[in-house]
Amino acid sequence: MSVTKRNDAGAAPSVSLTDLFDEKSGTISPAIYADPQLYELELERVFSRSWLFIAHETHIPKAGDYLATYMAEDPVIAVRQKDGGVKVFLNQCRHRGMKICRTDGGNAKAFTCTYHGWAYDIGGNLVQVPLEQQSFACLDKKQWGARQARVDSYKGLIFATWNMDAPTLSDYLGDAKSYLDLILDRSEGGTEAIGGIVKWVIPCNWKFAAEQFCSDMYHGATSHMSPMMAASPDTLPGDPTDFSGRQFRASRGGHGTGFFVEGAEWLWRVGQAGEHVSGFDIAAAEQRTNLHRSGKRPVGFSQHMTVFPNFSIFAGANTARVWHPRGPGEIEVWAFGLVDKAASDAEKEQMRLMTLRTFSAAGTWEQDDGENWVEVQRVLRGHEARRTLFNAQMGAGAPRGEDPTFPETITNAFAEEAARGFYAHWQKLMTDVDGSFSKAGSYADAAE
Amino acid sequence: MPQNNSLQSATTDIVEMGRTITPALQQEIEQFLYHEAELLDDRKIAEWVDLMADDIHYFMPLRTTRGPRDRNLELSGAHDIAYFDESKASLQLRLRKLQTGTAWAEEPPSRTRHLVTNVRISTTAKADEYEVKSAFLLYRNRSERQTDIFAGERTDGLRRVDMPAGFKIFKRLILLDQATLEANNLSIFF
Ligand code: FES
Ligand SMILES: [Fe+2]
Repeated sequence: MSVTKRNDAGAAPSVSLTDLFDEKSGTISPAIYADPQLYELELERVFSRSWLFIAHETHIPKAGDYLATYMAEDPVIAVRQKDGGVKVFLNQCRHRGMKICRTDGGNAKAFTCTYHGWAYDIGGNLVQVPLEQQSFACLDKKQWGARQARVDSYKGLIFATWNMDAPTLSDYLGDAKSYLDLILDRSEGGTEAIGGIVKWVIPCNWKFAAEQFCSDMYHGATSHMSPMMAASPDTLPGDPTDFSGRQFRASRGGHGTGFFVEGAEWLWRVGQAGEHVSGFDIAAAEQRTNLHRSGKRPVGFSQHMTVFPNFSIFAGANTARVWHPRGPGEIEVWAFGLVDKAASDAEKEQMRLMTLRTFSAAGTWEQDDGENWVEVQRVLRGHEARRTLFNAQMGAGAPRGEDPTFPETITNAFAEEAARGFYAHWQKLMTDVDGSFSKAGSYADAAE
Repeated sequence: MPQNNSLQSATTDIVEMGRTITPALQQEIEQFLYHEAELLDDRKIAEWVDLMADDIHYFMPLRTTRGPRDRNLELSGAHDIAYFDESKASLQLRLRKLQTGTAWAEEPPSRTRHLVTNVRISTTAKADEYEVKSAFLLYRNRSERQTDIFAGERTDGLRRVDMPAGFKIFKRLILLDQATLEANNLSIFF
């Protein structure tokens, strides 16, 4: 399927975007992972209108601490301010567009452009211009600060958006918040980031990664069979018959998560693999974590989750990451470890080892995810492959459980209900010509 | 590390810490490194893991681009995330993963070529242990045309043992010359 542009309206493709995902039939057109014009449209309608993850609060604790990161393809700098707030601004000099920060992070007193020397303070305000008196008739420096994004945070996670009309981050996260809490609020004091961000390149579309973390417990038995076998060589995973899990599809916003509940054979296995590599006793940690505080059964360590569009967590390995899009066929993964503040130093060390040994560029689990996505993407070079529909029907029509502990879930962790929610929201954004759908008011509207 | 600034010919002994790096020792250690590289490239991973001492620390930190004020933070620290931070047990788990036949990132396996060069040896306070720096170029190709190239430096701790290989590795620090890893995974060893 090719996407051509209308003659009159600049960015609106003439192909019906509503054909690309069909919730009723549970089908996905693979063009959405490969088409360059759809990708350009995603940058505008998905990424520039959504809240995007920036950093954990503990990445930049002190005034002047900064992290150079990205909002989709746009480089930004996140800086801790003297008043304790965080500013996020475009890493682009207003003179001729040079990066005003060429390093990955640290502590800054100012950002001085290395092209002609314009200097910005840690708030992104233009404060110094070489030869200003001699050569500029009248330069209103206030007008020429770095372009500011809107910033908000939720329980330690800093997000930003270019959409000044977007709902608050809290409203944007909506009913997904209580599932984020399973991770962010599982123990007293919340979470902190382990130092260091692992960055690596996978030649695949960003949605393969984001959708998988949103919805796909299913692939574990096949893709990740080897680390489970390695951890417990005597017992093969076999056919997953224990379905005592849940999958959550956000009623609004495209977020999703899934997890097993207490006693699931799979949870035990994942835990055992982690314990084997790091000595980290997941069962003990799970007993200690404070979801028990809120009366919920332990789920945290099996939980995968995506906050739409491209921020994901896998609690089992204490990992959080952004899938930065780099064209239709490439992503940069930026992953960091997320540990309980209340954990002892020894426990944090065990969690650190578990994270890097399981879900990281060299992780014994994560290695095999990249392999899948790379091959899928390569197949999509084919013209016929791009027009051969994908099946996303798993768990269609499953009734919502009656479980008040886990609202809006179906009682099966092996499903694609959250994936359908992810694509339904993606499609709403992609077909929203004027951006009205992603405005604050429309978030009060009916569920998707 | 002690530096010896004079140019050395192949037949000249190098003095480190009062002890001598003879051409014979230089050759012996280089041959050990070539042997090790061959095991990896021949996919004899079990034999390669056997070259690791029981107290091996196999460590590959992250690297970042830093300004002058933060240049000391270029390498991730001991309590930060790393690409690899491995013990003998965790290397053995990685080996068992590869042996399952379902480790899809290496099944079918990659083709690799470990080139090892710039080998510089220092003696240590212990007579049977050496610190060995080397530069590496690691070529990896898999599937049809997926290709990765890694360059970097290794600093190894070698301990002389009574085994045919002659040494065991008890420390390996790997500095990769990349800040963003230009590969979809690290399912191979350095
Ligand atoms: S581009 Fe930054 S000062 Fe000219
Ligand atoms: Fe996976």
